[in-house]
This record gives sequence, C-alpha cells and structure tokens, in this order.
Amino acid sequence: MASADKTINTDVPEKDVFAIHFLQSLSNLRIQNLFNSPDTTNYRVRKIKKAAYVSMARAAGGTSRLWSRALLRRAAKGNNKIVRFPRRKRKVTWKISSKRRRSDQRAPVVEDAAERLRNLVPGGGGMETSKLMEETAHYIKCLSMQVKVMQCLVDGLSPK
Amino acid sequence: MDVSEEKRNRNSSNYDDTVDNPTVDWQVSGSNPVSASIGSYTQENLISACPSSCSPSQMMDSFGQTLWYDPTSVQQAVGYGGGFSVQNSGGNASSSSSFRGNIDRSLEMGWNLPNLLPPKGNNGLFLPNVSSFLPPSMAQFPADSGFIERAARFSLFSGGNFSDMVNQPLGNPESIGLFLQGGGTMQGHCQSNELGEPHNDASIVVKEPNVRSSEQSKLNVPGSGNVSEDTQSSGGNGQKGGETSSKGFDTRKRKRNGQNSEAAQSHRSQQSEEEPDNKRNKEQSPNSPGNKTNSGKQQGKQSSDPPKDGYIHVRARRGQATNSHSLAERVRREKISERMKFLQDLVPGCNKVTGKAVMLDEIINYVQSLQRQVEFLSMKLATVNPQMDFNLEGLLAKDALQLRAGSSSTTPFPQNMSMAYPPLPHGFMQQTLSSIGRTISSPLSPINGGFKRQETTGWEGDLQNVIHINYGAGDVTPDPQAAATASLPAANMKVEP
Repeated sequence: MASADKTINTDVPEKDVFAIHFLQSLSNLRIQNLFNSPDTTNYRVRKIKKAAYVSMARAAGGTSRLWSRALLRRAAKGNNKIVRFPRRKRKVTWKISSKRRRSDQRAPVVEDAAERLRNLVPGGGGMETSKLMEETAHYIKCLSMQVKVMQCLVDGLSPK
Repeated sequence: MDVSEEKRNRNSSNYDDTVDNPTVDWQVSGSNPVSASIGSYTQENLISACPSSCSPSQMMDSFGQTLWYDPTSVQQAVGYGGGFSVQNSGGNASSSSSFRGNIDRSLEMGWNLPNLLPPKGNNGLFLPNVSSFLPPSMAQFPADSGFIERAARFSLFSGGNFSDMVNQPLGNPESIGLFLQGGGTMQGHCQSNELGEPHNDASIVVKEPNVRSSEQSKLNVPGSGNVSEDTQSSGGNGQKGGETSSKGFDTRKRKRNGQNSEAAQSHRSQQSEEEPDNKRNKEQSPNSPGNKTNSGKQQGKQSSDPPKDGYIHVRARRGQATNSHSLAERVRREKISERMKFLQDLVPGCNKVTGKAVMLDEIINYVQSLQRQVEFLSMKLATVNPQMDFNLEGLLAKDALQLRAGSSSTTPFPQNMSMAYPPLPHGFMQQTLSSIGRTISSPLSPINGGFKRQETTGWEGDLQNVIHINYGAGDVTPDPQAAATASLPAANMKVEP
C-alpha cells in the first residue's frame, strides 16, 4: 500500500508484517498465561487490544512515526497497570505554546477538528495541525491494516 | 512546522527599527481577508507610521506658498504625475492619455481621478481629500490632483533627502499630499513623520505606476524610495542600504526590498499586475512577491528552484496580501489543505464531501470507527479462544525461519521485524489460516479442557523456543526446526481423537 504522494510519505508495510507482529504479541500474551487463568474477559480484551496496538506501532515502523512512538511510550509506561490511554503530558515549550496560540487564530474550524483529532491520534498533543494530518493519514493506514489482520485471524480462528 | 517557525523568527528579527504599531496592525489584519481590510488597513498604517515632526500648519503654509509661487512647475508635476494617476487608477488608459502632458487636461484628470480612485480603496484616500482641501486656498490652481501627484512624484526624485525637498519649492507639497492622504484624521499623527516618511508614502503611492511600465521606472531611477532603490540596487545592496527611505514605516517593505533587489528588475514587469489589488503599503511586495528567504537575495528570482538553504520560497499571489505573516499563514493553510486532500483519498466515501469542516468530521469519525473496530475484534479474539495461537506460532516460526535463513537478520528487534520479513510470501496470512484450519478439526470444544492443559505443559517449552528464536537477535538454534515440526505432528496427534 504505497502512497503515491511524493511530498507526504505514508507508506505502510504489507499486511504480513502486521500479522507477524500481532501474532508475536499474542504469543507473548500467551506466555504470560493469561488465557489459562479464568480472568475476567475484560482484562483479556484489554490485553489483547493493547497487544494489537503495540504490535501495530511496531509494524508500522517502530519509532519512526510520531504516533507510534507515543503509543509505544504510553504502553511502556502503563505496563503494570491497566490504564485507558492516558494523555501524554505535553511539553509546554515556548515553541509549542506559541504554535498553539497562533493556531487558535487560524481557521478555527480546522483547529477545532484538529483538537478532536489530537485526542484520537496518539501523540497528537504536541503536533501542529499540518503535521497532525500527516500522522493521521499514516495512522489511518496502519489502523485499517491492523483491522484487516485481526479480521482474518478472527475469521480463521472462529469455529466453522 | 519548523520552516514556518523559522521564517517567523527571521521576520521578527528583520524588524529592527520598526514602529511596533504597524506590525501589530499588520498582524491583526493579516489574518483577516485581505480584501476586507484594504481601506482601513492603509489608513491605519499611514496613521501609525507617520511620526513626522513638522506641523501640519507649516506644511500647509509652505504648500500654499509654493503653489502660488511656482505655477510653471505644475506643468511638470502634471507631466510627471501623469504616470502616477494612470497607475493609480488601475491602468485606465483614457486617464493616462489625457493626463500626460498638459495642464489644461489636468483639470479633467483632477476630476477624473477622484472618481476613478475611490473604488480602488487605496487611492481613494488620497485624491478626494486633496481636491477638497486645496480649492479654498488656491482656487487658481486647476491641477490640484496633478500637483499633488507631481509633488508625490517629486519625492521620489529627491530620494531620502527630505531636507532638500523641503528647501525646494515643491518639497512640502508632497508632505501635504501625504498629509492629506489620511484626510483630516492624519493631522495629528503625521506631524512626527512627515519629514521622515512622506516620501515613503509618496513612493508607495507612486510605486505602483512605476512598476507598471518601464517608463516610470526610468523616471524613478534617480528617485527615492523602494522602487528606485530596487532598480539601482540590482547589485545586491544590503537590505537596509536599499531601503533608507522606507525605514520605520514598512518593515515588510524593507525586507522585501532587500530580498528582491535583484529580482525586482526582472520581476517588475511580471508582478506589476499584482499592484492594483495589493494594499498600498505593500508597494514593494507587488514588485517582488514575498520571498521568504533568509539570506539569499538571488534566490528570490528562483522561487521555483529547490532552495539551497532548505527553506521554502513563497511567492505572493496576485491580489493577495504580502505580509510575511499572512504569507506564512497562506503557506500553512495550503499545507493543511494539501494534507486534507490526501486524507480524503484515504477515507472512503469522502470524495463527494466538500468543505473542510465536514471532511474533518468524516476523518474523525473514520478514525473513531477504526479504533472501535480494533476493540471489537480484540474482544472477539479474546472469546474465540486463543490457544489456537500455538499452532499459529509453530507455523509462524517455521515459515519465519525459512525466510530468515534467506535473509540476514541481525538488527535490533523492532526494526528487525519489519525489515527481516519483507520477502514474506504474499498471502502469508491466508497460508497461515488455511493451515490452521487444516490442523484444527471441528470437534475441538469437548477436548478443550484437557487439550489446553496438555498443550501448556507439553508445548510451552517448544513455544518458548519458538519465541526465543523469533525475538532473539540471530539466536537461531537447530532445535526450532525440530520443535516446529514436532509441534505440528503433536497437534495433529492430539487433535485426532
């Protein structure tokens, strides 16, 4: 799924890479003996979901993307607790704050949507709107890839 | 974005001795639609940027004297100012032809101009005020507007030397003319700046005509202001050197002048069309569209060339504001819209949607739906019974090992994964799943309980081997093969009742 746009590079690896990463993370979960113990389904679900996201971040290029970096950092931090995506504390430097002030003036319509996007896309807090949209594009691609992989898995594993 | 940030920083650093008010005003108005703020904008600039020291009354008196004094010079003024009026009226051919040359025609010109100029906004400030002001004091001078124009024009010739202009008979009229630009409201404000800056205004005013035709540029060669310095400083004078006249008034002017001194000549004819629509104060920019270079003045010409210094060169478009801030704004907006188009291709069903707001909502909804899908599928996976992953792992290890033997994989883990497996066979997923289907037969549920335990006890070693192989950097032991192959028959054996 190579992007045809030259200026914005949003190439994502093939589905297989995502599949491998996901399966590996699942097996990792396996090792932890999660599924043998009669834990609450919620816990397992969350674990699987987290594994899915982390594997997606790794498959999508590790730390070469802002969102994947933020995702991995977030996952590494909250390893011991089950947290629901805590917002990464934004380093309020002068640059970023000035960007913020300026971006508030610019096209408030766009900026409102950008704010919502920032909440959705991991690591979007410190990005400017144009960079945010680039990250969103890549994130969308990776997410759709991951969804396909998981769908395949579920279809393959579900009892016929 | 880093680029825009740096541009902004450079812009601010260039504003050495600027009057703060103009920049503030410009910033504020820069964010507004250009067309809406033309009239008020120019007034603001004129008012805030005219800290002249001479009193208006002085100007008026001298003006009156000079007018009375030298009627012959009016002809010249008319002649010179002809170009000015021509350009100010936005290329009105009739006005230009009638205006040039004779004092006789100046009357009609004088009357024509006010009619022509007000719609332009910029010039509308100038002439009507002039014509209204002058008649009481010098009724005998028919060429009010022409005179003012000549005076304005004259300021160009005298360059930055306003003192000389004052001494000259027509030195003051220009200041008066400028003084009249803002109407009565300018009186208090122009006091301080009249001496220093009027020629700037004049040059601003006259600049547009100069840009238009080469004739005017010739006329302006000896003159002052940004235009002449543009022509003269083709050798690449420093920014400040080329813009002595514009000091303090228009910081953007200065920046543009210096940057575009080389480009000005070559681009003047090209960008001359931009003037009529541009604000009057941005006279320089029409000539030399806002190139956001940091140091490369020569690069101003080559806006299309790849920037050597890594910065993006922006050119002001026709009919648009050329404030550096608004330029950065425009660049940013273009970037955002370009990315939005890209996103539009990604998100399905967004082709029909037009408008940024709806598009962005769609994008947000799509991202949310994707995330929800991931959650839903993970729930499904959790319920579907993940012990099947053992088979998957075995298959995975086997295939991965086969591929790994072919590729050299010693890089660290995360990147290793993506890089080591590019030669994966297409449809690996399908293979995996089909093999899963083969190895796992239907009557699984009754065996699940015992199956699980046996699996865990019997396979964990194998699994750990497998995992170890996959995750370790080059830790390929001969066992995995055996383990992988062993696991599969084991699964088969266990599955078959």
